[in-house]
Amino acid sequence: MHTRAWPWTSQTQSVHNVTVTNPTDSDLVAAAREGSREAFDVIVERHRRQVYQLCYRFVGNHEDASDLAQDVFVRAFKGLRTFKGDAALATWLYRIAVNVSLNKVSAKAPHPESLDAFERQGDARLASRDESASDAVLREERATQVRAAIARLPKKQRATLILRTYHDLPHEQIAGILGSSVGAVKANFFHALNNLKKLLS
Amino acid sequence: MNHLSPSEFVDLVEGTLDAPRAAHAERCEACRLSGAELRRTLELGARHAEVPEPSPLFWEHFSARVRDAVAQEPVPAGGWLAWRPGFVAFAALAVAVIAVGPFIMRSAPVAVAPGTTVARAGETSAAFDMTLETNTEVWEVLTAAAADLEWDEARDAGMGMQPAAVDRAVQRLTTDELNELGRLLQSELGRSDE
Repeated sequence: MHTRAWPWTSQTQSVHNVTVTNPTDSDLVAAAREGSREAFDVIVERHRRQVYQLCYRFVGNHEDASDLAQDVFVRAFKGLRTFKGDAALATWLYRIAVNVSLNKVSAKAPHPESLDAFERQGDARLASRDESASDAVLREERATQVRAAIARLPKKQRATLILRTYHDLPHEQIAGILGSSVGAVKANFFHALNNLKKLLS
Repeated sequence: MNHLSPSEFVDLVEGTLDAPRAAHAERCEACRLSGAELRRTLELGARHAEVPEPSPLFWEHFSARVRDAVAQEPVPAGGWLAWRPGFVAFAALAVAVIAVGPFIMRSAPVAVAPGTTVARAGETSAAFDMTLETNTEVWEVLTAAAADLEWDEARDAGMGMQPAAVDRAVQRLTTDELNELGRLLQSELGRSDE
């Protein structure tokens, strides 16, 4: 098979022997299919935060989220040839992430990071500067409750709520990710919010 | 006028509900209250489920982990070349099954009826031993042909099992073939219990 050298940098990349500034995801996918692992590195760099955050919202802890996010990219690499390009790369990655995350939470009950773990990390980034320590603790307690309530939602409701509320995806894109209709996505979102309200009350 | 549907409630809290239905939601107390509760839950959920930002070093470490994991994978070539090896293996397996399948089934030992003479039983036993040996050889050929077969690739190439294909195949078997199939299944079940 014929391969090319792909001298990737963060801003300027060479695709098909033409130097491209800020290559599109399609350029990167094409290059990765031709054997450029550097192109795939750029894909990872570009999408890793969103994928990690999506996985985190399903499993509720850093360790599992980072393992799942890694799995998502390895699966994406292995499945590059099946990526048809009729959907955005991000949508495809989200679809893989939702699948691996739902498989994970089906196999194992989610265990969101405890408040103790949060405090041990000494991570005060969540608290705003003028927020007192006790406010920050209360806020994190509430966040833990919300994460636990979300973890108890049925799979599709949970996925819909997460993709809509935290990743701000349009209903059409969520429908593409979950393989549902827009109407079903909206109905799932409605039921997810109703169930969340009951779980938190 | 009807109350809002679930889909319309979502449009209401997202501010995209069409004017006539939004006017209904204003007038109808039940819809207005339900909409307000949904909006409060949405805001609560959005406000209290932030993802803690990992250490800045994490991202570099993460990319390196993915790079290492991907380095162990073959380059995902696209197009026909990508599934040709799997296709060849699958085709070889299919030809082998078509060629030797009937032989396996037809040469299966016949159940010995009660009252059969000792000499007859001995002949059957010899035939059975020979069949076992032949089956083992055939089985080795089949497993070797299938060794490189990626099921996902075969399925992607449209060569997956059709619905009810097994049922139709079983319905076409003769009594002797069904007996032999039962024996093979019992044998496999016994092996999996070990």
